[in-house]
Amino acid sequence: MPVLPTTVSKRIPLAVLAAGSLVLGACSDGGASQEPLESLTIMAPFFSPTPPGEDDPIDEALSEIAGLDLSVQWVPNSDYGAKTNTVLAGDDIPDVMVIQGKDQAFVQTAEAGGFWDLTEHLASGDYPNLVTENPEVQEASSVNGKVYGVYRARDVIRASVIVRQDWLDNLGLALPETTDDLYELARAFTEDDPDGNGEDDTYGMINPAWGGLGNGSPYDAMEVWHGSGNLWRDEGGELVPSFTTPEWNQALQYERDLVQNGYVNPDYATMDPATWNEPFLNGEGGIILDVQSRAIELVKLFKEQDPENFDQYVALGGQLDGPNGTFAMPTAGYSGFLAVPRSGVQNEDQLKQVLTALNELNTTEAQNLMNHGIEGDNYTLEEGGVVFDPAKQDFTDQVTGAWAQLGTNVAGYNAHPFQRETEFETALDQLRLDLMAEDVANAVYNPAAGFVSPTYTTSGAQLDTIIVDARIQYIAGQIDDAGLQAAIETWRSSGGDDVIQEVNDLYAELN
Amino acid sequence: MTTALEVDREPPGARTPRTPARRRRFRADAVRYRWLFFLMLPGILYFVLFRFWPMYGARIAFKNYIPFLGIEGSEWVGLTHFQEFLSNPDFPRLLQNTLIVAGLSLFIAFPLTIVLALLLNELRLNILKRTVQTLVYIPHFLSWTVVVSITALLFAIGNGPLWTFFGWLLGTDANMLADPDWFRPLILMQEVWKNTGWGTIIFLAALAGVDQEQYEAAVIDGAGRWQRVWHITIPSILPTIVVLLILQTGQILNTGFEQIYLMSNSLNRTVADVFDTYVYFAGIEQGAYSYATAVGLFKAIVGLVLIFGTNWLAKRFNQQGIF
Repeated sequence: MPVLPTTVSKRIPLAVLAAGSLVLGACSDGGASQEPLESLTIMAPFFSPTPPGEDDPIDEALSEIAGLDLSVQWVPNSDYGAKTNTVLAGDDIPDVMVIQGKDQAFVQTAEAGGFWDLTEHLASGDYPNLVTENPEVQEASSVNGKVYGVYRARDVIRASVIVRQDWLDNLGLALPETTDDLYELARAFTEDDPDGNGEDDTYGMINPAWGGLGNGSPYDAMEVWHGSGNLWRDEGGELVPSFTTPEWNQALQYERDLVQNGYVNPDYATMDPATWNEPFLNGEGGIILDVQSRAIELVKLFKEQDPENFDQYVALGGQLDGPNGTFAMPTAGYSGFLAVPRSGVQNEDQLKQVLTALNELNTTEAQNLMNHGIEGDNYTLEEGGVVFDPAKQDFTDQVTGAWAQLGTNVAGYNAHPFQRETEFETALDQLRLDLMAEDVANAVYNPAAGFVSPTYTTSGAQLDTIIVDARIQYIAGQIDDAGLQAAIETWRSSGGDDVIQEVNDLYAELN
Repeated sequence: MTTALEVDREPPGARTPRTPARRRRFRADAVRYRWLFFLMLPGILYFVLFRFWPMYGARIAFKNYIPFLGIEGSEWVGLTHFQEFLSNPDFPRLLQNTLIVAGLSLFIAFPLTIVLALLLNELRLNILKRTVQTLVYIPHFLSWTVVVSITALLFAIGNGPLWTFFGWLLGTDANMLADPDWFRPLILMQEVWKNTGWGTIIFLAALAGVDQEQYEAAVIDGAGRWQRVWHITIPSILPTIVVLLILQTGQILNTGFEQIYLMSNSLNRTVADVFDTYVYFAGIEQGAYSYATAVGLFKAIVGLVLIFGTNWLAKRFNQQGIF
């Protein structure tokens, strides 16, 4: 520390004062203005290794399209939920927020008037690119019929069965069509030496640890295929949770048999989902129940390992018929939504500015920027579609891992397709589309998706955890049928019965 | 601010009325010791900003806090959140898990620190002592994320070296990372590995202050090594042990969020859920700000009661307390 003048003692009160005013300043309102907006601040998650910087060319191009200077606050996806709740409790609230789930902080803030109700605005037709092509999905993203955000559209069918093609060939087996086929396949991959090395070193299915209920886990898929319904099921006008149905129990026994016989990876309760590909690549396990796009990812990885025969490892199959019929598991059709907090956007005029900007950000031109990058820079447009420049891979990662998160595509996705390097990959893209078309006919939707019950909002995460944990404990053999029923009883007495009541009240009221 | 300084100047226990003479004296002291006061400033600011100011926000434990409405605008709900927490079916389990994890740390990890400090103190060769000391400090500087990742590798089912070793020793092929019976041993092992070395610092400082002449006298009287440790070393550092014990007791409900959170999964959650993970889950993940604050406040009150309790006990047994 430099030598201080002797008068420093007189400065102490000043320093204290300064600190005091800092404290006071922190609690006063940010003082948002009533004037038209000059820039648009957005909070969004990113998946890329690093977020886009200040002088990002996409930022510049999108700002021009939007007619407002964009300033995006990027938050790592893994911290996003926690960050949303801390930002909502703070003073520095952005103009537009990606809201990933209807949790307590969001719902209470929305119901207290903290977010603009966009229902009328979106229906008005003033913003053609924000008019949904799937009203059911918009309904599902709403809070009891009130639309608080422009949802981010996702493919409705993503779940699939991904199998080691070479193992199928070695054993002379085909892709599974039914859950029984899947069971038999898992058995054969475990016991019949599918890699032909003479050693007992393989298992069938690869399941990672999973948090949450009804969010696309392999277990969710197997339960839907058995006919348990998708989180909720309509039984004669009354909604019941899927895990109270006999079909769910039947599915759990099926899952338990898979695990107890050793047809599943032994670390199914602890495996990090980020390492899901590894056992498949290394030839430890041969079946993954996950989104179709994982098959494309796996093909890419095999291509690095074995450029000659990479097309002989991955087989992609559609969803399976269960013992009680044919049911397919859809996604929610959206992944969160872009909501407009009232703290930053103070009046209708400002809201119109924001919605106009979002409307522009949904044009084909903007979709291409957000999903591919800049033509002629990091990608070129060939006959079949987009081809990325390998030298600009880092930039491309930032585009697809961050900017794409701002895309809503509610009125349709019109960006260029990809040109694949090989025929095999082009065929795989086509297969995905075919499987989607086939499975969507059997999709089982969640009838309660748009309902927000107060009890679920306050304690839904704990309630879900009771069931998620009981499911794994049952599969692991830690608890038996009585224990499973006891867990469901705990769920009921911890607030589950209230949730059922509230959801049914809403069902009666809104249908 | 000046009142805070005045309070600090008061000798403990003395409650003399604030006479003009005293005030004059304070002013004289303030000028004379201005540098000391200046040095204190960052510390005082720290406490005001990060300890006292947040207490204003602790009010939301008694309100139904909705950020959009602000602390003032949210409605008062009295003790509702506390009642909800105490009558929660999870409460007994959370309390039990928290106490067991804290108990392991207090009754096993804490004494081990003392044992290690005594062992280090008995090392004659200075270079060896320094080397060992430095080596045992290192784990302290690794974050829990790293420690948990190392554990996950060592105990990976099928090929982790420690999984293989313990499996062979105990004849089991359980997935130790997921088995509820293994959760507490693992937590304790991590705690001991990470923090025992670091914890010795204060004891080593206390040991350095022990009067060497006492040892010399004891040697002349024919005391062996064990007798010297038992009759000189331990009594000399007993006040330090008691002070640290009291402070530790106050921390008993703070089990360390990161470690527990990272080590828990669906199969061991029954034993892994503690207050800290619960607060995170309810408050940050789910956005139940008021409820989580109420739980946090409850924890703080229990901690305060425990500090006073242990302090009182220590005084009863003729040891110096911390206040």
